[in-house]
This record gives sequence, structure tokens and C-alpha cells, in this order.
Amino acid sequence: MNAFFIKEADFTQFLGNMIGARKVIGPKARKNRFVFDQIRKPEDLRLDYDVTILPPKKVFFPPRQELIRFHGQKGSSCIQPESTVLFGVHFYDIKAIDMTDHLFRENNMDFNYLAQRECTTLIGSNVQNIFKRAFFGSVGKGVAPKGHDGFTTKISGGYLYEVYTAKGKDLLAYGTFIEATEEQINEAREVNDSVMDKCPEKINHDSLEISEKVRSKFNSPVWEEFAHDCFSCGSCNLVCPTCYCFDVQDNWNVDQVTGSRDRTWDGCLLEDFSSCSLTGGSKENFRETRGSRYRHRIMRKTSYLTAKLGGPACVGCGRCSSSCTADIADPVNVINRLMEE
Amino acid sequence: MSDKVKVAYFDFTCCEGCQIEMTNFGDAAFLELLNHVEVVEFREAMSEKTTERINIAFIEGSFSREADRARLEEIRERSDIVIAYGACACTGGINALKNHQNDYHEEVYGKDAKMPHLDSQIALPVSAAIKVDYNINGCPMDKDEFIRVVSHLVHGKQPVIPNHPVCVECKLRETVCRYDQGDHCLGMVARAGCGAPCPADGIPCEACRGFIDHPNEESLVKVLMEKGGLSRERAETRSRMFTANCRADAPEKIVSPNK
Repeated sequence: MNAFFIKEADFTQFLGNMIGARKVIGPKARKNRFVFDQIRKPEDLRLDYDVTILPPKKVFFPPRQELIRFHGQKGSSCIQPESTVLFGVHFYDIKAIDMTDHLFRENNMDFNYLAQRECTTLIGSNVQNIFKRAFFGSVGKGVAPKGHDGFTTKISGGYLYEVYTAKGKDLLAYGTFIEATEEQINEAREVNDSVMDKCPEKINHDSLEISEKVRSKFNSPVWEEFAHDCFSCGSCNLVCPTCYCFDVQDNWNVDQVTGSRDRTWDGCLLEDFSSCSLTGGSKENFRETRGSRYRHRIMRKTSYLTAKLGGPACVGCGRCSSSCTADIADPVNVINRLMEE
Repeated sequence: MSDKVKVAYFDFTCCEGCQIEMTNFGDAAFLELLNHVEVVEFREAMSEKTTERINIAFIEGSFSREADRARLEEIRERSDIVIAYGACACTGGINALKNHQNDYHEEVYGKDAKMPHLDSQIALPVSAAIKVDYNINGCPMDKDEFIRVVSHLVHGKQPVIPNHPVCVECKLRETVCRYDQGDHCLGMVARAGCGAPCPADGIPCEACRGFIDHPNEESLVKVLMEKGGLSRERAETRSRMFTANCRADAPEKIVSPNK
């Protein structure tokens, strides 16, 4: 392993050098929450964040993205990747990025996502503060975070920086790093292990067991019961680090000749998500009730994708639970309830 | 004879603010659009009127006097597409606030309360009198949405009118939720399309575009009380400013033209 140490006092200079040389995106404060955004001053980087409103997938898969710009019948690609360092990503979001990497790579490769993903250096950081709705310690325990280029852990006197790839190694040039000692490596491991059982919420069963049991509960009245207060607002989808659905629409500029084909994040909790055009101008919505939409999300997170991803499509960040104004989205409550039935 | 799309603007019970908003678009939008459409009637901007066939009729204002029905029917008769634009035309808008009251004549007009032109019915959307093809929502309506709808129609495409709530647009721009700031908001039931500027500026959504097709009003009252700290009475009436005709207690249920 390539493990290095940088003193607390040198860390600010390291950040300053890196920001001066590269585009750096990291956690920043926004009112009483946090967001991933471009870091322009070292003091803007808030590695003590608990969770961000939107997950870092937005760096590769923006909420709104032009896919093609057109002029009359001619179209041109909008793919313009920009070398970026995505710094300070918690391990659960690294797991989620690994899933979206897989999903955007399979079948028809999504170059709009992959081009930006490939020129991004992904650096993790340890969880210093645990979000009030987090349950990452008890979900998908068999799935290890991977696909990142390096990982920083705050330890006594400074930060341990573990390097996994050449892209991760490149960052060493921006700071005064020394080889880490065995004790420092062990301390970092302990720091990262210790947060796992400190989450305020906990799923009580193994993900494979959950996958089978939840799937068997397709006709349970639980779905309508939990969805009774649902606003169908899609917030649980939109803040989810593993959701990847989008809608595509063409838009003309006012000149009526030029325009763009745009994609926007979509969510299966929204009423029109499953609305389809049929012949003769009629429409059919195959998930018309709140309960059926609510069930679909939980099925996607617990069961439908597990074979493909090797684990649940949920990383326990707690974003859906906290963004749900009606407070019915928390997977912990519905999964634990179904498992006990 | 021009082969441009012929459009006309008509106004009913409203402040005409949406027409003004249209002229506020400026050179970049309004004059550019004039290269693709021919305006044949537009009271706020020109004196000509037409009795000819119209491709797209834009109607502003609510339907609040039975006497207006004939004029609306006549517009429908000679228009290929009818678009209601602005909150008053789409949902009755703020005018519909009077629908549950009956003492406002004396309150507002005093000794003139019995003047014949004040004799109006409840304020309803244009769709209560005639078939409306599309709504361009908002108070006032939004420039970008207007251009998007008109562009789609110029190209013979069906415009998509949003049926998702404002929460979606707050998430897309990563606005800190009003409820996370100890405030309340109507975004969960409010029809989007505006880009959610109000919560981003730190004020709750007032649902000026009306409700989504199936708002969960029961849950709204619960959340407004439990998280927003409103009294039951306040929670139950809170959404009325722009949605009097969308709510479950509306005198006449709105049929969404986008279905």
C-alpha cells in the first residue's frame, strides 16, 4: 500500500496548491447544510460535513445536461470533459459512484457520463460527523468502496493519504507528504471502522435476506400504508446517490432553428414518470397509485438491482429520509417492518 | 399573405400583468419571436383587432362574469389552439380568493357596492367556460416557458406542461429546504415549471401555478402543522391564495387541460 502523511499545518498549503493547479470540487457549507461545489479557497472545504444535499454523482451526471446542440437537422455533441479533482467524498458515496459507473457503462455506454467520470480524480475522506439519518453501517456490508483514486483520513496531527492509482499519486506533488508509519495506518483504519457502528439508524438484516423477503412482499398492504402521506414529489429519488433515471426533451431557442436536446433527472415517485403514450394519442400510467410508486423505489433499492450490482442499490446515506417532508421515505423503517412480518 | 402562425391575445378578469410581462421580454425574446408569428390582436401593445381565423389564441384572466362566456366561446370557435396563460386564466388565480367570501362588495367599494359592473360570479379558470388546449402557468407567467410552448407549437410538437411539484426544482438546484430552515412551504403540492426561485430566495412557495394534478392535501395539512408549526385552521387555509379552485373544497373542480 501507498500511504502518506501530511501534517495539519501543511494541509492548507496542499489545498491551496491543488486549487491553484486544478479544478477542485468538494464539500462546502450552504446555509445549515452542505453541497459539493467548486472549492476556490482552502477554508471553503468542509471535510467535517455530515452529508451533502445532492450526492457527488452530479459532477458526472448533472441535474440538467445538454446532450446535443442542433442547428436545423444537424446536431453536434456537447461532451466537453474537464479535468477535475472530486475531493472529500465519503465512502458510502464512493460505493454509489461505483454503482452508477457500472450502470452507465453497461449496454449502451453513456459517454456523457463516462467522459467526465474518466477525467475526474476521485478522492475520499473519512466521515468526521455522522448525519442524523445515516445507516451506512448496516447496509450492503459486503460491498467495499472501490473505483476511487485516493482516500484521506483525519488522524492525530494531520491526515493519512492512501494512494490507489496514478491519478491519486499525482496529487502528492501539491503538498509536503512523508511516508506514513504503521501506527498511522492502523489509526486511520480504526477511525474509519469506528464510525460503522455509530449510525443513528440500523437495518437489522442481511441484504440478501432482505432482497428475497422484500420481493416476496409485492402484494403487501404495507406499501399503501407507508405511501398514505406521500406527496409524489420525487425528493427521495432526486437526492439518492444511486438513482440514475432521466427524462430527455428537445428545446428550440427563440430563433426556432437552433436548440438543444436536454436531459433532466427524473424520479419514479413522480406521477408522470410511468405515463406512456399509446397509439391514437391516448396515455397509460402503469404505476398510477402512490403505493405502487413507493413500492417500486424500495424494490429497486433492495431487490431488483442486487444481482447486477452485487449488493443493494442503497448505501445508507440517509438523504432520502431527511429530504422527505412527510417523513415516510426512510428505507430503514419500511425494510425493518417488512422483515418482521 | 403571410404563412406565419397567427396569434392573438385576449384578456378577461386580471391585472393584465402577463401581457405587460410579454412586452417586457424585450428584443431578445419578443421581437425575435415576431419573426415566426404574426400578432393579429394584442390590446396592450397595438390597436388593431381581428375577426379572422386565429392559429393560437392566448387568453389571460379568469372567467368571472357570465356575460363573458359568449366572447370566450367566440374566441374558441375561430381558434385552432387556445392557450390559457397566467395564473388567473389557468386556475382562477388570486381572483378566486373571493370565492369563499360574500362581504367584499361593501368592504371594498363602500357606497358604490351596488354598481352593476361589480355584479360578478365566482372567479373560475377559462377552462370552466371553454375547452383549453394548454396552460402556461404562473403569476406572472414565465418567459422561458412561454417561448418553449410557442416553439413546440410552431414546430407542430406537443409541449410538455410540468405536472411535478416544486420540490423537484428545488432539488435540481440544490436549494436548502424551507423545512430544514425551520420554515414551511407549499412546494410539495405546487405545480412546477418556474425553476423554484422563491425557496432559493428564502421564501416559501405559494403555489402560484396551482396544484399538481393529484396533490396530497391531507398530508400537506399534517406537515404544515407538525413541521411548519401552523395552527390547524391556518394549515387548512394556507394554500388558498392561488389554489382556491384546485383545492378539494373548490366550488367547481378544475379539469386540467393537459390530460
